[in-house]
Amino acid sequence: MSGTETYLLDGCARAGSHTLDVYRKHGGYDTLARVLKELTPAEVTEIVKDSGLRGRGGAGFPTGLKWSFMPDPAQDDRTRYMALNADESEPGTCKDRVLLREDPHRLIEGCLIAAWAMQLSAVYIYVRGEYRLPYDRVQAAVNEARAAGLVGAKILGTDFSCEIFMHKGAGAYICGEETGLMESLEGKRGHPRPKPPFPAGFGLWGQPTTVNNVETIFNVPFILERGADWFKNLGTEKSPGNFLCGVSGHVERPGVYEVPLGMPAQRILDEHAGGVWKGRALKAWFPGGSSTGLMPASTIDTPMDHDSIRGIGSMFGTGAMILLDETACVVRASFVIARFYDHESCGQCSQCREGTQWLSQIFERIEDGRGRPEDIDLLTDLAHGMAPGKTICALSDAAAIPTHSVVKHFRAELLEHIELGRCPLQAKRVAEGAPA
Amino acid sequence: MTKIILNGREVDADPEQPLIHACHTAGTDVPHYCYHPGLSPVGSCRICQVEVRMNAEAPPRVMVACRTPISEGMIVDTDAAPAHAARKECLEFLLKNHPLDCPICDKAGECTLQDYSFDEGQGAGRTVEPRRKLEKRKDLGDVIVLDQERCILCSRCVRFMDEIPKTPQLVVSQRGADSVIETFMDRPLTGNYQGNLADVCPVGALTLKPFRFKARVWNLQKSASTCAECSRGCSITTEVLRNGELKRFRPRANPDVNGYWMCDTGRFAFEHANAPERLAGAALRNGQGWTAVHPIDALEVARDMLVTHGTALLVASPFLTVEEGAALVALGRELGARPMFVSPPKNELADDLLHTGDPCPNRRGLTELGIDGLSAHDILAKIAEHESVVLVGERVAELMGPEALAALPAALRMIVFDSHLLDVPAADVCIGVPIHVERAGTWINIDGHAGRIAHARPAPAGVQLLTRSLEGLADLLTSETRAR
Repeated sequence: MSGTETYLLDGCARAGSHTLDVYRKHGGYDTLARVLKELTPAEVTEIVKDSGLRGRGGAGFPTGLKWSFMPDPAQDDRTRYMALNADESEPGTCKDRVLLREDPHRLIEGCLIAAWAMQLSAVYIYVRGEYRLPYDRVQAAVNEARAAGLVGAKILGTDFSCEIFMHKGAGAYICGEETGLMESLEGKRGHPRPKPPFPAGFGLWGQPTTVNNVETIFNVPFILERGADWFKNLGTEKSPGNFLCGVSGHVERPGVYEVPLGMPAQRILDEHAGGVWKGRALKAWFPGGSSTGLMPASTIDTPMDHDSIRGIGSMFGTGAMILLDETACVVRASFVIARFYDHESCGQCSQCREGTQWLSQIFERIEDGRGRPEDIDLLTDLAHGMAPGKTICALSDAAAIPTHSVVKHFRAELLEHIELGRCPLQAKRVAEGAPA
Repeated sequence: MTKIILNGREVDADPEQPLIHACHTAGTDVPHYCYHPGLSPVGSCRICQVEVRMNAEAPPRVMVACRTPISEGMIVDTDAAPAHAARKECLEFLLKNHPLDCPICDKAGECTLQDYSFDEGQGAGRTVEPRRKLEKRKDLGDVIVLDQERCILCSRCVRFMDEIPKTPQLVVSQRGADSVIETFMDRPLTGNYQGNLADVCPVGALTLKPFRFKARVWNLQKSASTCAECSRGCSITTEVLRNGELKRFRPRANPDVNGYWMCDTGRFAFEHANAPERLAGAALRNGQGWTAVHPIDALEVARDMLVTHGTALLVASPFLTVEEGAALVALGRELGARPMFVSPPKNELADDLLHTGDPCPNRRGLTELGIDGLSAHDILAKIAEHESVVLVGERVAELMGPEALAALPAALRMIVFDSHLLDVPAADVCIGVPIHVERAGTWINIDGHAGRIAHARPAPAGVQLLTRSLEGLADLLTSETRAR
């Protein structure tokens, strides 16, 4: 693991990177042409499987394996789809935005390679509603590609045809959940579907469907171009490749950085994000978006890969680190997070609908100085009632996990709030000009 | 059928149905709100959690029974401690914003939120937060009132409207804890199946306007019966207060006839049953007025009339049961007459769900007995050719047309078996009969299915069963013939 080789963001740096001309000048769509000519669909899936690529949307599921769940076209002649999940809305996560905006053609190439591998007839790109420029860039790229014979019927003169359709979400977090996304694409409320049936058997309009994240698909052209062995050389054995780490919060240089999987969070913080801002000490951090739980500063040397982060009782998630400095109040942070899930719960499942609201109300009460000693046990009980796996989708889990982690790692701070009857850090924040 | 082990006992399970169906079929209750056997399962309320092992070696997992497919040899424990714990937790969430206004809630006593909270919930709430304030009495049209605060968002009502009458009118709007059930643009609900919404609602959110605040459900005596409003003959429950007042008809599950539903026409058809001024016993014409007599005495007078005034025309009500129809046919044999029944024209209520548009609940049963249906108009034409006529059964006078009957000549001898006194010049003898909720019997529906009607409440004092009256009259005629 050298830690210096990059590929994901290389194209983004070029002037006019979002146009077909610039993309083709640097070898764009050559991999697609070669794949269509030289490789069978099964061979493509096998290469992706062999590369060990894991989904970058949060769950880290092996991509090649997911593709192989799609039924064999020889035995199941239903129309097959892919939904590309560009509904990036996990708090702290902003990696896909960069790719959509700066390198949309590589995404299209990835989609088409995936379409060949799974013999899809259409790919639906579901873009978060707030992503106006990224949406426009991808739409323009799809139009350019279609005009150049790269999308639609008889791609690059072969017998393979695949359409790409764009869809703009309306700004609901839950529509980033794969089955909620499919419901939304079908024009319904974004209510996640119970599983089984799984999307590969019963997806969009009841047809076999695979849902992949933007960054996942973005890796595919590189893997087909440079080979599975090249990819496995990057990152760790079980989590190969580079990933885009969105760093936000109390750091000197927040941003999206390309690093190999397995790089310690401390190094990402220091070498890329410029360390904790204003020379302060780190208090807590989320390893991969708000759903992954607030971890104490002592764990910041953990390598950023799926297994290592799981080892400290958290999740790699979307790889979006959010860092809180020593002046931050974890109760207030927990309230903000809980309020987010309360706002974004679709309201189907009882535990999630009522539980997210309840958690938010309790954290708000404790932060406002109206906490009761029994509230800490109540938080634990509620989080236990909401997860794991007690609801249709994982939003309830996403609200329960940070609750468990704050009770586990920051119980003293919760108790201090309750005993003082106020937030011990609030006076300091106000003095620094922050809103009360 | 697939074999599964349910609470230590091997039972048969329909592999096409979810696990909860197998549990219910085997007589094991599993709490449920969003699941309804007549609607598509959504698995959103999460109360039906049970412990499942795929085989004897597999680890136990708590999962929702309404979305768990049946697999051969699966081992299910509905009583496992983790399942109870999960249901208890779920109930705490369901009650977080519930107003707990059971003392003034019409659903109290038949509310499954109440029942399962009592069975498995915790004794005291742990929320200090203010409860959600929403609309307490939102008017959804002529039939339904919605209390949004009581709603637990199981979405049964939404799915009912989408899937059964196929007139999607209800939606869940807003999101998360702000979700509410609404109609589009607050338009009133329409259609002839709205009443089912109050049945599918597991809590007191959707209540029937005609039933609101009229009775406590534990005071209602329930009998299994059959609806009288059309030839579908939906299986129903007849619910009566202790004073005999009929309060509710509700559908009773019957896969052969009506599934789980009934139409509003049938549901609210109890005005006739609760009509006042019933004819108790019998009455004889006495000049311009009437004299109350015992039915036996009235039957003797009727016998004398029938013996002396030629062959009578026998006109039955379409509400006659098979048993009453048979008694009427037997009476007809004594008189040498073939009875017929009044068949009102088809109404416009027919739909492709349940209502047949034919208001004769026992058309098939009567026809098979040889009693044919004729229009009131045709029957009146026949009456003109007869010296005497016998009208038999509840509402027969109403269906013949009271005005037409009033126009008949006083010289006609008319014997009437009906629930109310028919005060027209032609009528000579009136004998009270029990109405459909006051007698037992059988109606045969349009598809040949036999539906039992129930004796749900006593008839007014002095009223004897129609079969008894008809058989008594036949007996009197037999002895008269022998005496001659």
